[in-house]
Amino acid sequence: MIDNAFIESVIRVLFAVVIITAAYIISTRNLITLVSAYAFQSLTLVCMALALYFHEGTPVLLAIAFITFISKVLIIPYFITNIQERIRIKRDIEFHFLSPTTSLLLSMAVILFIYLALSNILTGTAARDSLFFFGAVIGISLMLMGMMVTFSRKRAITKVLGYLSMENGVLLFGMFVTELPFIIEFLIVIDLIILVMLTTILSVGLDSTLEEYHDRLHRFHLVEDTEDGS
Amino acid sequence: MIIAAFVITAFAALVLVAVSRTHRQMNSICIGEAAVFLILAVWLLLSGQVPVLSFVLGNQYFFIDHLGIYEALIATIIFLLAAIYARGYVDNLLESHELGRGSLKLFYGAWAFLLALIVLAFFSDNLALFWIFTELTTVVSAILIAILYARDNIDAAIKYIFIASVSMLFSFVGLVFLFQISRSVFGTGTLNWTVLMQQAPAYPAGMMIAAFALIFIGLAAKSGIFPFHTWLPEAHVRAPSAVSAILSGVLLNVGIYGIIRVFAIVHRTTAVSTVTILLLVSGLLTVGIAAFSMLPQKKLKKLIAFSSIENMGLILIGLAIATPLAIFWTLFHVMAHSFTKAGLFFSAGILHRQYHSPLSADAVDDMHDVFRFQPVAAWGIILGGLAIIGMPLFPVFLSKLFILTQLFTVSLPALALLLVLLFIAAASLGYYVISTFTTVSQGPGDRDIVAYKTPAGMKWPIIILLVLILILGTVFTSGEIAFLDTIVSELMF
Repeated sequence: MIDNAFIESVIRVLFAVVIITAAYIISTRNLITLVSAYAFQSLTLVCMALALYFHEGTPVLLAIAFITFISKVLIIPYFITNIQERIRIKRDIEFHFLSPTTSLLLSMAVILFIYLALSNILTGTAARDSLFFFGAVIGISLMLMGMMVTFSRKRAITKVLGYLSMENGVLLFGMFVTELPFIIEFLIVIDLIILVMLTTILSVGLDSTLEEYHDRLHRFHLVEDTEDGS
Repeated sequence: MIIAAFVITAFAALVLVAVSRTHRQMNSICIGEAAVFLILAVWLLLSGQVPVLSFVLGNQYFFIDHLGIYEALIATIIFLLAAIYARGYVDNLLESHELGRGSLKLFYGAWAFLLALIVLAFFSDNLALFWIFTELTTVVSAILIAILYARDNIDAAIKYIFIASVSMLFSFVGLVFLFQISRSVFGTGTLNWTVLMQQAPAYPAGMMIAAFALIFIGLAAKSGIFPFHTWLPEAHVRAPSAVSAILSGVLLNVGIYGIIRVFAIVHRTTAVSTVTILLLVSGLLTVGIAAFSMLPQKKLKKLIAFSSIENMGLILIGLAIATPLAIFWTLFHVMAHSFTKAGLFFSAGILHRQYHSPLSADAVDDMHDVFRFQPVAAWGIILGGLAIIGMPLFPVFLSKLFILTQLFTVSLPALALLLVLLFIAAASLGYYVISTFTTVSQGPGDRDIVAYKTPAGMKWPIIILLVLILILGTVFTSGEIAFLDTIVSELMF
């Protein structure tokens, strides 16, 4: 077997890679690189699952790596790229509430906060020093960073990528904890695929941001009065 | 094995919808599916097999206890009536070109699938499995909302998906926490509710609070609890009324059901004192937000939607009290609210067909001469409105009365606040009904309006529901009491 300490350091490097991709997803404005960044992030998770498999030897991790590779590295990015070409949106330069710079600063604060909060909760337990602790910190941070993307982007299709990034965070977190049965991981992936298909198809229906669409309605006087629209 | 019967029925319904051609066929299939589900559930209950614990699937993913069968019964009854109602309603949608014929298959397919998902969610023992079914109900019901030819519907559906799904991810993290707790205490982790309940007294309080708070976020979003309620009014107003009835009468219950289950676990740990405060505060806030949003409301369906939010808040308060009596009446309130609310949405749907309300969610309804055009719907709204604000003779009266008296034993200020808020909500509903329903047209121009010929299939569900709630509110059999008592004792309150 490969040396355990070596695998642990590999996993730590992968943690850093995940955070970098998350930061990239927050800040980039080009939709195509956004999808690639997501696919790359998922690939990192696949590597992590494999590394963990060599570390712990639970075969479920292999299955997770496989199904993640198929769904999140291949199918979902392919589907989203396809839709993007159809609706011909290349760039997403509008943001709600948070600009990319603020989001990045905020996510640093988030990571720090979660690190402190979790080390508080877990002090004294065996979990504090293990990989589980780092998995939890990085996973939850990734989730919150994805949430920032979901709420700060205007286009539904970028919101989807934020959601997917969140889901990656959950998967990352789950990998370090669970002996969750494989059937459940599998069903989650099915759920994810349905959700992605539905939202992207709906966003083709919208073909523009939700706000723009409300503006358009206003301009044609189809709507007398709306509170705030979104 | 009985689970297999449910799954096979649902699968057959899906296949039949896929091969059928006309609207009538598809509608009949959905009615049939709901009827078979109802028969299966009633048979399960009467044959005394509940709780069912052994299944062919390993690892015990499913089980059926009294709470599960109770919720499933409510769901199937509403689905059955909504499917009967949908025939006339969807016909009219097709005539007015609000729904394309091409979308019919998707609509009824999603409908049949949704019922199966909801029932399976109620029968899940494994909480992760429950999570997946709940998450899938979001996606499938979003299809039902987005189905109409209006961009506002897509807008509402996307908002619903994002708010609910993003929050549900937090729930999943909470479940992983729960798994980790059970693993750290007993060596092997589990998410099976029945096992968790047995182990619960040994769980550490700090981790339990974190786990519950995270799980609560997602389920609160599913059931329209403040501050995650923002999707609810829009989705309920946008959706076809048959779907609104399901959203409000059944889907909100899925979230509440999950909260009840997880709270039952927490109730057996030392974390309960903190968690009840969380439930009480969010319940009060929810009722408050709903009451003040109802006050200026000029749109019937939106008013009813906010009233759902108010009732969900009340249910949370009932849970927070956590005495066996309060839990008993909270469960009763779940049923009372579902039936009353479904009736209200059915009536609102008829009025909606009659007056073709404007596109915007905030535009004022233009209703007049309701008694001349739609007497059944008008009485449905009036009696349903009286029922939902908790007038005597109706079941909500009983549940509200007992929840409030139980609240008295916990906190007097909370009771006073809640009473004021409930009064505001009731007053705004009353104000709307009185001011709208007494409007009688004067100008000769209004005489041109053609009365919408309401099919009998749309009237009967309302009448049946009204009779049902009248019976529930006046007759209390010992069987019913024993049944609810069993649920309370199974939840170990």
